[in-house]
Amino acid sequence: MIKDYFRLAYRSAKKRKVRSWLTMLGIFVGIAAVVALISLSQGLKGAVAQQFANLGSDKLIVQAAGGGFGPPGTAVPDPLTENEKKVIEKVQGVDIVVGRLIRIVKAEYNDEQKFAFAISIPEEDDAKVLVLEVNNYKLLEGKFFDNDEAREVVIGNNVAEDLFDKKIELRNKIELQGTEFKVVGILKKSGNPQQDDSFVIPEGSLRKILKIPDEFDVVPVKVKAEEDLALVAERIEKALRKERNVDEGKEDFTVESPQQIIGVLNNILLVIQGVLVGIASIALIVGGIGIMNTMYTSVLERTKEIGVMKAVGATNKRILSLFLIESGFLGFFGGLIGVALGFGISKLVESIAFQQFGESLIKADVSLTLLIGALSFAFIVGALSGVFPALQASKLKPVEALRK
Amino acid sequence: MYKDYLKIPWKEIRRRKLRSWLTLIGIIIGIVAVVSLITLGQGLENAIAKQFQALGEDKLFITPKGNPLAPGLTTDAVKITSDDLEIIEKTTGVKITSASTYLTGRIEYNDLVRYFFVGGMPTDPEERKLLGEAQNYKILKGRFHEKGDKFKAVLGYQYTQDELFERQVDLGDKILIQGKEFKVIGFMDKIGSPPDDQSVIIPFDVFSDLFATNEEIGFIVAQTQPGEDIDVVGKRIEKALRKHRDLDEGKEDFSVETPKQIAATFETILDIVNLVLIGIAAISLLVGGIGIMNTMYTTVLERTKQIGVMKALGAKNNHIMALFLVESGLYGAGGGLIGITLGIAIAKLVEAIFVAALGPALLSVEINYILLAGVLLFSFVIGVFSGIAPARKAAKLHPVDSLRYE
Repeated sequence: MIKDYFRLAYRSAKKRKVRSWLTMLGIFVGIAAVVALISLSQGLKGAVAQQFANLGSDKLIVQAAGGGFGPPGTAVPDPLTENEKKVIEKVQGVDIVVGRLIRIVKAEYNDEQKFAFAISIPEEDDAKVLVLEVNNYKLLEGKFFDNDEAREVVIGNNVAEDLFDKKIELRNKIELQGTEFKVVGILKKSGNPQQDDSFVIPEGSLRKILKIPDEFDVVPVKVKAEEDLALVAERIEKALRKERNVDEGKEDFTVESPQQIIGVLNNILLVIQGVLVGIASIALIVGGIGIMNTMYTSVLERTKEIGVMKAVGATNKRILSLFLIESGFLGFFGGLIGVALGFGISKLVESIAFQQFGESLIKADVSLTLLIGALSFAFIVGALSGVFPALQASKLKPVEALRK
Repeated sequence: MYKDYLKIPWKEIRRRKLRSWLTLIGIIIGIVAVVSLITLGQGLENAIAKQFQALGEDKLFITPKGNPLAPGLTTDAVKITSDDLEIIEKTTGVKITSASTYLTGRIEYNDLVRYFFVGGMPTDPEERKLLGEAQNYKILKGRFHEKGDKFKAVLGYQYTQDELFERQVDLGDKILIQGKEFKVIGFMDKIGSPPDDQSVIIPFDVFSDLFATNEEIGFIVAQTQPGEDIDVVGKRIEKALRKHRDLDEGKEDFSVETPKQIAATFETILDIVNLVLIGIAAISLLVGGIGIMNTMYTTVLERTKQIGVMKALGAKNNHIMALFLVESGLYGAGGGLIGITLGIAIAKLVEAIFVAALGPALLSVEINYILLAGVLLFSFVIGVFSGIAPARKAAKLHPVDSLRYE
C-alpha cells in the first residue's frame, strides 16, 4: 500500500520530465548554496579549533585586559611585567611560564619597506622548548638562534616568499626597526596567516630594537599535569589581583584557557555563518514556491484522475498523502543533487584555498549530520510546499472532478 | 497588431491567476533581497562619504604607518611626536594643526571597572575645533575643555545612559581614569559608532603624563590656508617630514591623506562585502528564473491546441515565439517592479530602525533611480531568457499535430 504511494508519485513526476527537472533544479540550487556555505564555515571553525588544540589542554593564557584593536595584549593601559611573570611562576600548580611580545615592526629589505608582526622567543630553555612545541614551529631550512641578544631572525614562510618583491633567502640581511638582522631560518608554511606573516626574534633583541624594557603582551602558562586547570587559573587570578592591587571583579587582566578563547571566536563565526546562510536560504524559499506551483498545476491536470480514484473508494486522506509524497519527493531528490553539488563546491574552494594559503586554513566539513540535515530539510520544504495543493486535491468532489 | 502581442499574453497571465502569482512571487523575493541589500550597502557608503565630506576639502590627516587595523592608535614600529607636529606647522600653506592620541584606558565609576578608548585632545579652542570638526564631536551638555583645565573629562554619549556603568554619569561626578580622579565637565552628542560614543576625552598634556607616552601622537589633522591646493600642501608636508625623519622617497613610515582618500579605502572594503552578499542573494533570482521557465513550459503544453489553431490561421513561427517571450518578459518585469518597491520599503525600514537605535551616522539610504532602472531591466531580461527555450518549443510545434493534441 505504502509502496503504491511512492510508485504513483514517481510515475507522475516521470511523466512530466521537463517540469519535474526544472522544479528540482530550483531546490537543488538553493540547497547547494546553503550546504556549501555551511560546510565551508564549519570547516573554518574546525581549522580555528585545530590551531587552539595544538595548545593542549594544560595551558592557560594570561593577558592584560583592555586591548582594543591589534594583536592580543598590546595597547593595554597596564601591561604585564617581568615581576608579575615571577608572581605567576610561584603560584602552586604552575609548571612553566613564558612571556611573549607580539608587536608590529618596520622591516626593510631590498630597498622596500613593509610592516609586519614580530614575535619573541624567550631565552630560558624550558620556555623556549614549550614555545616551539605549542606554536608548532617547523623549520624549512636553517636553524633557530642560540643567543638571546643575537641579531638573528627566523622568518615565516609568507615573509620569505611574498612580503617583498624579491624573495628572501637564508643568510640574507634584513633591517628591522633600522637594525640589521641576519636570516638564520625559514619556517614551513603553517596555514596560520599570523605565523606565516611574522618575524620570530630572540626576546632580548626584540626588546632592544623596540625599546621595551619590561613588558609582556601574552603570558602562556603550562600547568602541572596532575593539577586542575580551573583551580590553577583561580590561584593565578588571586595572586595577580594581590600583586596589581585590584579588587575581585575589577581585574585588569584575564586568565583564560584556550577553550574559552575558542568560544568567543566561534560566536563571531556563527554570526557570519548565520547571515550568509540566511541570505542563501532565500533561494530555498523561492525553490519551495516553485514546487508549490508545480503541484497546483499537477492537481489541475489530474483532476479527472483524482475523480476516478475517489469514485473507486480513495479517501480524502489517501489523496492528500499521494500529493504530499509527490512534492516531498521533488524536494528530496532536488536536495540529493543539491547536497552533492554543495559538497563539490566546498571541496573546490578548499583546494583553491590550499593552493593559495597552504595547508589547513579551510577544510570543507563533509559530515553525515550536514548531509542528513540538508536532505531532511529539502524533503520538508518540498512536503510543506505541497500542503495547499494537496489539500485542494483531496477536497475535490468526485462527481465534478470526473466531469472535468 | 503589435498591441495583440501584449494583449494575448496579459490575458493568459490573468487566466491562471494562482500560477501567475506564484511565479511572480518567486521573482519578487529574489529582487527584494537584491534591491534591499544593494540599497543598504549604498546607504552605508553614503553615510561614510557624508562623514568624510563633513570634514571639508581643506584638511589633511597625518598618521604613522604600520598599524593596519586601527589608524590613529600608536604602534611601537613608528612614532610621531611633537617634533613632527612642529615641522608640519611650519610647512608653507598649513594654517593650523591639531594632534590627538587614543589609547585604551581603565575607567572606574560606580565601583565598576571598564576599558574604553581615552583620547588626549588639545585644550586650545582653535585646535580643538579643528579636531572636533574632524571627528564630528558636538557637546550635548556641559562644556568642552578650556585652557588650563587639567583633570577634567568630557565623556561620550553612552555615559549618559545606564548601560555602561549600570547607572548614568552626571555632570560634576568624579570618575577614575587609570586610577586618577577626573571631574566630568561635559557630554558629547551621539555620534553613532560605539567606540566614539564610549570614549573619554581628556587634555593632551594630562594624557601624555597619564599614559607615559612621551608626547607621542596618534594622528595629526592639518588645515590648509584658504586658496592653497590641498594636494600640493600634502606633498610639501610629506617632503618636510621625510627630511626631518631622514627617509627616502617611497619609504615613508607615515601617511598624509585627504579625507577623500581615506573614504575610498573604506568604500573598497564595503564594495567587496556587498558583492559577496548580493552574489549570494542573486542565487534566489536564478531560482526565480527557473520558476518562470517552468511556468512557461506548462503554458506551452496547455496551449498546444491554441498554438495549432493560430498556426493553421497563418501565424508564423516568430509570431508564436514573440507571443511567449512577451509573456515571460512580463513575469520578469512585473516581478521586478513589485520587488523593487518592496525592497526599497525594507531598506527604508531598516534605516529607520538603525537611526532610532544608533543615531544617524551609520546609514543614509538614498534611492538610486538609475540603479533601480537597471534592476528592472535585469529582471525583464531574466524573464525573457527563461522564456526562450519554452517559446522556441512552442514556435516549432507542428500545426497538424498540435491541433490533434488532447
